[in-house]
Amino acid sequence: MKARQNGRGSNDAPHGCANDSLSGRLLAKLMPLNPRASGTEGGMTVVSARSSEWVRPVTQQDPASAIIEIDRVSQVFQTSARKDHVALSDISLTIEEGAFVSILGPSGCGKSTLLYIVGGFVSPTSGAARMKGQAITGPGPDRGPVFQEFALFPWKTVLGNVMYGPRQQGVRAAEAEAQSRALIEMVGLKGYENFYPKELSGGMKQRVALARTLAYHPEVLLMDEPFGALDAHTRTRLQNDLLNIWERDRKTVLFVTHSVDEAVFLSDKVVMMSKSPGRIRQVIDIDLPRPRRRNELLLDPRYQKYVVDIERMFDESDQAGAPA
Amino acid sequence: MSAAGMTKRAAPVLACIGLLVVWQVASLALKNDSFPTAIGAMRAIPDILGDKESLINILASLRRMAMGFGAAVLVSIPLGLLMGRSAAVAAFFNPLLMVIYPVPKAALMPIIMLWLGVGDITKTLVIFLGVSLPVIYHSFEGAKAVEEKMLWSGAAMGLSPVQRLVRIVLPAALPEILTGCRTGLVLALITMITSEMIARQSGAGNILFNALDMGQYETVFAMIIIVGAMGICLDAIFERVRARLVRWSEPQFDMPLSFS
Repeated sequence: MKARQNGRGSNDAPHGCANDSLSGRLLAKLMPLNPRASGTEGGMTVVSARSSEWVRPVTQQDPASAIIEIDRVSQVFQTSARKDHVALSDISLTIEEGAFVSILGPSGCGKSTLLYIVGGFVSPTSGAARMKGQAITGPGPDRGPVFQEFALFPWKTVLGNVMYGPRQQGVRAAEAEAQSRALIEMVGLKGYENFYPKELSGGMKQRVALARTLAYHPEVLLMDEPFGALDAHTRTRLQNDLLNIWERDRKTVLFVTHSVDEAVFLSDKVVMMSKSPGRIRQVIDIDLPRPRRRNELLLDPRYQKYVVDIERMFDESDQAGAPA
Repeated sequence: MSAAGMTKRAAPVLACIGLLVVWQVASLALKNDSFPTAIGAMRAIPDILGDKESLINILASLRRMAMGFGAAVLVSIPLGLLMGRSAAVAAFFNPLLMVIYPVPKAALMPIIMLWLGVGDITKTLVIFLGVSLPVIYHSFEGAKAVEEKMLWSGAAMGLSPVQRLVRIVLPAALPEILTGCRTGLVLALITMITSEMIARQSGAGNILFNALDMGQYETVFAMIIIVGAMGICLDAIFERVRARLVRWSEPQFDMPLSFS
């Protein structure tokens, strides 16, 4: 239990075990109860208070600021040969407006499934997800996905892809084009407007995908391991650019990743998930100043501590849950 | 142009000349009445194309072929796409198509003739059947291969299921669909001639088999050349259209495959 040396009270002691008696739902609920209990000014805690560095403080007690609520969601997949596979088990989570929340976990923990449920692409077996109090029944332009596979329309040029959403929403062609060109410039692809996706590198494709989604102004960005298919260098550059873009308008972002560095670097809050069945293990507030600059952050002991602590927690759960 | 490029351009012409030379030599060696020389057959071509009656026949054939092909494409593409995206539709039509697939469509002709006569409708229908299956099959495969995430992206933009089928599945599957159409075009030509062979009334096939009956072997072989040339031309035209429609899926720059 060394990972939790931060004095968050004795009630979270059993969390180190993968399949402990406290369900993921309880854990998620538990965290908000004492958000300030362990806050220290040094920021050396895993779960700490919101500091004054927050441009938009997010208080979990205020229901008005909650944009997405995931309520006791479970997802069971029927595998043809074997028994049912429980991908998600009793997940409850609240995401505040304007927050950058990462869902972090090993592959196969259902983190993408959770994102698809919020997107309305997949219906949960039980439980419900709500967006601004409204039950999510299907996809909608208020929630914009960005996939690891890019999923660009290959028959459209870069400009055509970015314009697609606004045109679908009934924006006039000239206006949509002007907005789209500005977005393409913002993601750093000026001059590539008339290229087809096939002619672009992976990093460029993901930039187009981001611009395409931003173009129809979703309130929430749903990013499904967006940089997972990219090489390390491109990945770093896109992380930086994403933060720069995000810091302009602070859209709510739900970001699925299996990279601890990435989650800590980008997020306000990291939701750690454990594997089979997928549960929330821990929700960790990342109390690091913004705007974040990579070169500063990598040297920051607070950043390093978050990364080390989270990695250690995953290691512990691997050991504890190995025979199961 | 480089030497390699010249060779590439000249290759098809050389192949044709080579075939004609072999034909000529074989014909001279065999000295068979029913196997005219290549030069003899070529000489008969202007006679056929100069004859008004023959031209009307050939145009009638082409018209039936265009109608059968067009109708087949219009029906088969939506059906194939629906099958590719809906397991229920696929489960319903797959066994039906599996039964029809191995049956030679021309074998159905005598029955269709009994019902609909020997006119245009029967022949067009046979062409329609011949073209449908490859187009359905390729549309089906193309639609099935469309990335789920692409459809999700469209759904998030607010596209309805029908809009997704028309505006995402159709363009995304277009390269595969057009491959099916190209096969269908060749099959249309084959079924066109076969149908005219069975229901002799007019058309290119009619000229061919009448000439055969009358022992005009040079005309027979001239017609074979004409039908073959029609096939090549139609395919070339189609390929032009296809390349233009799916430019996005082709490599933008023609990369030289050799390292010279």
